[in-house]
Amino acid sequence: MTASLSIVRDAPANAAIEVAGLSHIYAGSNSAVPALADIAMTVGAGRFVVIVGPSGCGKTSLLMMMAGLRHQTSGTIHIQGRPIDAPDPDRVGVVFQEASLFPWLSALDNIEFPLALRGAPRHERAARANDMLNLVGLQGFGARYPHELSGGMKQRVSIARGLVQDPPVLLMDEPFAALDEQTRMTMGHELLRIWSQTAKTVVFVTHSLTEAVYLADEVLVMSARPGRIIDRIAIPLPRPRTYEMMGTEVFGRLRDRIWQQIRKEG
Amino acid sequence: MGRPAPSTVRWLILVALLVFWELFPRTGIIPELFLPSLSKTIAVLVKDWHEYASELAVTLYEVAFAMLIACGFGILTGTLVGGIALLRNLLLPVFSSLYAVPIVILYPIFTAWFGIGSESKIIFAGVYGFFPVMLSTAAGIRTIDPQLLLAARSMGANLTQQITRVIIPASIPTVLTGLRLGGALTIIGVVVSEMLTSAAGIGYLVTRYRTILDSPHVFGAIVMILLLSIAFDTLARAVERRTMVWQIAGRRQKEGEQADIAVKPATAVV
Repeated sequence: MTASLSIVRDAPANAAIEVAGLSHIYAGSNSAVPALADIAMTVGAGRFVVIVGPSGCGKTSLLMMMAGLRHQTSGTIHIQGRPIDAPDPDRVGVVFQEASLFPWLSALDNIEFPLALRGAPRHERAARANDMLNLVGLQGFGARYPHELSGGMKQRVSIARGLVQDPPVLLMDEPFAALDEQTRMTMGHELLRIWSQTAKTVVFVTHSLTEAVYLADEVLVMSARPGRIIDRIAIPLPRPRTYEMMGTEVFGRLRDRIWQQIRKEG
Repeated sequence: MGRPAPSTVRWLILVALLVFWELFPRTGIIPELFLPSLSKTIAVLVKDWHEYASELAVTLYEVAFAMLIACGFGILTGTLVGGIALLRNLLLPVFSSLYAVPIVILYPIFTAWFGIGSESKIIFAGVYGFFPVMLSTAAGIRTIDPQLLLAARSMGANLTQQITRVIIPASIPTVLTGLRLGGALTIIGVVVSEMLTSAAGIGYLVTRYRTILDSPHVFGAIVMILLLSIAFDTLARAVERRTMVWQIAGRRQKEGEQADIAVKPATAVV
């Protein structure tokens, strides 16, 4: 990890994600609703950036645009130096709020799914998927079907699936929102372990301020609709993060600063 | 001694029914014209098994082709109606109302168009079975979780892959339920149309022996139809069970999610 915590506005050479002048307007049946306004952000390679904001501020839309799953009205998104206008699993893996696993496939087959789409040879798929299963701590659960897994285990499978093609960027849309508090804490910690082992660039959307401060190198705060980035907060807590840090004064001050920003928007 | 298991009770009821079927006509409580005894019915089936077998063959042939029509067109139309919003808005209300119409009123027209041979039965029963297949296919396709398609797209699935790897497997359980209902209606359609106007088939036997007041032969034919329906239903359910394991479990889990979490922590991995 680069220790630099300052925010580099002009795209550095090692930027994984560059968003410039991005706006989005929903064309309703009789009115146009501005959803995102003039978003600019740069995420350096290997950084962990968390986006928070009030409900409906368009943070999920922004993430879907970075994934190439939705098109913005104007502005550009570059991932790994090239524009993205369609899903590209070689550059971007996505983890959704509901694990979105295929219920008719076993955990292992779910993880293999992206490789199967590309027609990768069976033995290669199995080997790679097994590696991922071990990475997310689910060895021995490969033959289980999604309905046989707990919520946290499903998200582990989903993360493994997002990483199986080894994309440099992982986008996560409130992946732990549906989990209970304890599972959520464990999963956050696990995600940091996986992140430190794989050196991915992560953009993580969440409602939880504690989760945001605990996970992030940098937190971007978005305004209510139309969503703009109103604050960028570097999180100077050392890595690896520990649960004890949550009780520290620094942690509390950072969380409070984000809360003040969001409350103004509420 | 606790209460007997439900399956035991079910079998006992069945045995009791068969015993009454034998005893009531024999003792004269029910006249033989209304209900011939079980043994007499079986005796007739054994004696004339040749006639029953050849008429059953006709019925089976008609049912098979009618099912092909019902399933083929049902799945095809259901896919289009379920998958294309414009068609759905135009046609789904029409099909849903048509489903409520007693289509049997059309059968005389079918005989005028296609004659009184097997063709009119096949087409009538095919139309009869078409609706549940088509409606459940449309429902199966329409109710696919859009998140699954979004996830597949994010992994680079093209349109063909979205159809073959997501839409089809996701809709199989609902479609199979439709096939079971549609198949049962097809059997009804064939038998009813044979009873109305025909010169062959099990339904024809029922009508012919009824007009000459030969109750044992009528009941022999009824037993054949019962066996045919039960055989089809057993087969269809077996196929459904094989493919629906994940879906049944998935539903159950949604209702009992809390219970599931409470059970799972023993596995140490959250």
